[in-house]
This record gives sequence, C-alpha cells and structure tokens, in this order.
Amino acid sequence: MIAVWELIILEPILNVLIALSQILFGQFGLAIIALTVIVRLISWPLNKRQLKATKAMQDMQPKMQELQKKYGKNQQKLQQETMKLYKEAGVNPLGCLWPMLIQLPIWIALYQSIMRALAATPENLLNLHRHLYSWEIVHQAIPLSSRFLWLDLSRPDPYFILAIIVGGTMWVQQKMTTAPSVDPKQQSTARMMTVMMPFMFGILTLMFPSGLALFWAVSNVIGIVSQHVFAGGWGYLKLSSPFQPRS
Amino acid sequence: MTRYPSSSVGMRQTKILLLATIVLLAVFLSGCPFGAAQVTGGWSGTAFRDGTIYAGTLQGAVVAINATTRSPQWPDPHRVTIPAEGLQCGPAAVAAPLYATPTVVGDVVYIGTYAGEVLALNTVARSQGLPFPQRGAGEWVEFLDGQAGNNAVVADLAVRDDLLYVSASDGRVYCLSRAFGDFVARSEVLDQRHRKLWTSPVIHNEAVYVSTFEGHIRALSADTLELLDWSFEADAGFASSPVIHDDILYVGSFDNRLYAVRIGDSDPLWTFRGGQWFWASPVVYEGVVYASCLDGRVYAIGAETGVELGRFNSGSPIVSSPVLMDDLLIVANEQGVVDVFDLSGGPESLEVPFRSITIGDKVRSSFSAHDGFVYIRGEDNHLYVVDIDEGRVVWDVPLDIEE
Repeated sequence: MIAVWELIILEPILNVLIALSQILFGQFGLAIIALTVIVRLISWPLNKRQLKATKAMQDMQPKMQELQKKYGKNQQKLQQETMKLYKEAGVNPLGCLWPMLIQLPIWIALYQSIMRALAATPENLLNLHRHLYSWEIVHQAIPLSSRFLWLDLSRPDPYFILAIIVGGTMWVQQKMTTAPSVDPKQQSTARMMTVMMPFMFGILTLMFPSGLALFWAVSNVIGIVSQHVFAGGWGYLKLSSPFQPRS
Repeated sequence: MTRYPSSSVGMRQTKILLLATIVLLAVFLSGCPFGAAQVTGGWSGTAFRDGTIYAGTLQGAVVAINATTRSPQWPDPHRVTIPAEGLQCGPAAVAAPLYATPTVVGDVVYIGTYAGEVLALNTVARSQGLPFPQRGAGEWVEFLDGQAGNNAVVADLAVRDDLLYVSASDGRVYCLSRAFGDFVARSEVLDQRHRKLWTSPVIHNEAVYVSTFEGHIRALSADTLELLDWSFEADAGFASSPVIHDDILYVGSFDNRLYAVRIGDSDPLWTFRGGQWFWASPVVYEGVVYASCLDGRVYAIGAETGVELGRFNSGSPIVSSPVLMDDLLIVANEQGVVDVFDLSGGPESLEVPFRSITIGDKVRSSFSAHDGFVYIRGEDNHLYVVDIDEGRVVWDVPLDIEE
C-alpha cells in the first residue's frame, strides 16, 4: 500500500518539486510556492464546486435572515424552512466541506514531499536517492538549500512571523467560507472551528519545519484570492465584520 | 439529485467531517511513517587499534570491545544527548546520533557528534570508569557552537600532528588542539547555499581539502584555515568526502559521477558516470580507483585515465566505503553482504568475489579490517566480526548499554 502511494502520488510530486527548485534559481521556497499553485490549479474543479457552494450560500443570506426574523422563536420550523430554502436553491450546506476532505491526500503527499526533499538529516538525504527519477535536473539540484528569505525551511520560524501569517490567513479563509447557521448548535460548532483551526495551525507552525508552514500560508492565500475573485468578494467575512453597519 | 441534511443529520455529518479531519491531520502530522525529518541514531563505524575495537553506538556512546575476550572494556561509556525536537511526549533529551567513526590517536579516541560537540576520550580513564572528562588524562568535550544541538558534526575528523579538523553543520571547518580542545582556527562559511558541511576534511601537503554540497572543492591553509587560491567547481554537489592520491582528488557527486581532479587544475582529469550517487569515498590501489556506488556496484576505474577496468554488482546499495587489507578489497552492501576481492590478480578480479559473507543485518557504517578479520557495526547495533579465511561471522556482540 505504502509502495503504491509512493509510486503513484509521492514520487511524482517529489521529483517535480525538486526539478522546480532547480528551475527557480535553486530556491526551494519558490518551488514550494510554485507547486502549491500547480496543485491548486489541478484541483480547480473541486475548488470550483466548493466556491460555487459558498457563493450560493452567500446569496441566500438575505432570505435566511428573513426566515430568522419570521421563525426565530420556533427552532424546528426555522430548520425546516431553512432546509427547504437550501433545496430550492440546489445547495448542500456541507457541500463546501467534502471537496476539502477529498483534497487532503494531495496535501499530505505535498507535505511528505517537502519533508523528504529538504532532507534535513543525513538519513533523509541518503534515503532520498531511492525516490528520485533519473532526470539530470533532479540530481543536479540535490541537496536542496533550505534557506529562503529569513527562514530555514527545515526548522520552525524562530520569529513567529509565519505562525501569525498562517493563523491569520486561515482565519480569514474560514470566515469567508463558513456560512452562518440558523441552528445554534451548528453555529457554535462552526464558530469553534473558525477559531480553533487557525489557532491550532498557528501553534503547529511554531513546531514544524517552516517549509510546511510556507505551504500552508501560500495555500491559504490562494484560497482567499480565489474565494474573493470567483465567489464575489469577502463572503461571510464581510457579513460578520465588526465594521459592518448594524441594520 | 442533491440530498439535503436534516438538522440532526447535518450536525452528525459535521461531527464526522470534523473527526475525519482531526484523524487525517494526526496521521498527516505524525510524520513517522511518511518521511518526516528522521534521525535514527547515526551510522558511526568501527576503528581497530591495539586489539580493541572502538565503535559509536545507536545510544550516542562510544564503546570499546576487546577483540580477544569479546567483552566491553569501558564499564560506563559516556553518552551524548541532544534536545528532543518537535512534538515530544517523551524525554526532553534523546541520545545524540553518531555518524562519525571514532578516530584513535595514541591513548585518546576522538569523535564528533550530532549534538555539535567533539569529544576526546582517554582509553585508560574510560577503562577505569572514571567520571568524564578527566582533563588531566587529556579528556575534554567542546561544543562547536557553545550550545547542544546547534552545530551537528556528521563527518569523520581529520588529524594532523597535534591538531584536529572538524567539518560542521554551520558550513565551516574548525581546527582544535588535540590536547585541550582549544579552538585554533575557524574557516569562513564554505558552503553559502546550504550552510552545512557533512563531508570530512582531508589533509594533504599543509592544506585542508573539503568537498561541499554546493559542488566546490575548497583548499584551506592547514595552519590558519584561510582559503587558498585554488578551488574546483563541479556541475552538481559532492556527496562523498574526497580521497587524495598522487595529488589527484577523487570524489563522488550527486549527479551520479565520480570526479578525478588534479590539485591546481580547473577542469577535471576525468569523470566517471555510475548508476546512482557515489556516496562513499573510493579507495585507490596500484593505479586503480575502487569506487562503491548506491547503484549496488563496485567499479574499478583507471586512476589516471578514468577508463572502467571492471565492475561487480552486489545487488544492494553500497553506503559504506570499501576497505583495503593487504591485497584484499572488502565491500559491504546495505543488505549486509560482505564481498571480498583478491586484487593480486589486478582489477579484473573484481568480477568475482573471493569470499561472499552474509552477516544477517543491514550495514551503513564504515568498517575496519585487521589481520584477516572485518569489524562491522550493523544497523541493529551489534558488532559483527567476520573471519575472511573461514568465510563467516565468527562472533557478534550487542553494543547496547544497560540503562
């Protein structure tokens, strides 16, 4: 199973990552950014579905608020009407979560590739030869330099900058995509996720190699930009902004 | 047709998704089975001197084994530790990996550790089990960066008179006095891109030569460690430490080539292409370079011409350097097969091994040979002693230290 995973998913990503590093002036940080963009482009059909669902949910907000006003005191009726509204609009409120889950294996492979390519320890460097294609460009790039901007990509960022960027961008992205729910329990779970996930990833950034954190940060930024461009604006971030005038 | 969750189903699905995300994240971040930064304990090899075998162990200690009695000579070996990294549920410090092989000069054993320290261990003081270090007996410990874990030493040390030369993970070569471990000189950063030196320095004619991951061979003054005028640049990074013979450096690279470079020249004398990296340093014997490769082959190459004179496929990557004992060439592959070639018949004798012995464990460490015996530390932390005449492992001993 592991051999199949390595052959079909891990090794192609690893070799492309190393080749990209050689093309991009020997900068592994640029290779991570480029590969994150490429993976995002490949997974665009899934992302598009996710964005569509988010956009549809956004468009439903005025109607949802109306329902809230109308059936606010009758929770059961409110939920029924909300589900009816979803059905009429052809939207599954959880539709935006499944594409995220399907993409996780790709992110796992990307993470593993980054860790292997960086070869931070002698064992990692020695073992790397087993996974490399015979491409000349790949062998010329080895070993990769882990220096990028102020970072040593094989170690955590000592200045907390990346942790703030990862946590901040993840929070923005979550806020943009998490639809407010009429169900207080769901609302509470969603609120917890919106705060906990960025916090958790911010903490993880302080513990894990910054190459991985760079990938998280770039991925988040791409997510925010595509959300803004293709789903029309700041989504629920705008709706829940503290600067939004109260009606 | 889209299915719409009722409130309770929706809640359950959210929980399942949340749980799945957490489980996947746990697998994703655990790293262990998926190739995260991994340090296993190093591949420190063996050194033989005056009837004693010295070896670095997986527990961060140097041990001494009496080759006659087969028993440990040091009752309480000094163990090196390193601060644990990342998410740790265990102890704050773990055994420091040892990649370098002990260097024995007189009564003192020197070794560099992954914790960034260089140790001098007196064989007499260690045999008596005295607290370490016994400064009066020439023992010392010196951190290259003043703090544990910051400046790992991966390569073997080089010795010249009363001085030690150490390559370090900050990209510099350090020169220390053998007597007290004082810093005598320090080079500039020799690999600006990677800022690490994992290959051993080599001393030749008052100069120190170092190969770098950047693809340079740098020459330094052995007295001051200042850069000399000559350097060489290759198309790819160097994987192995250089070997010098008749003013020619032989060194393996990451683009699957073995380079022969005459000191002072800017172009290589020749390059030889193998099927993988030349990770281990080659040996030179009677005008022939014997180079082991991660493609599993040993190549015999004309030292002046670069022409292939013979090859042998061992069937598994070869990580450790070949060793010469009189006319015998000894090669150990990663699967633990020790092949012995009788070179008295010339490089053609590389085609068929004179002996082929399986030790029963993986081998990545450098090994030593003396008087018909080969001393190998396996990846299972055992010392294996191979009798070449008998063609078998005659004894082995675990190197684990009791807690």
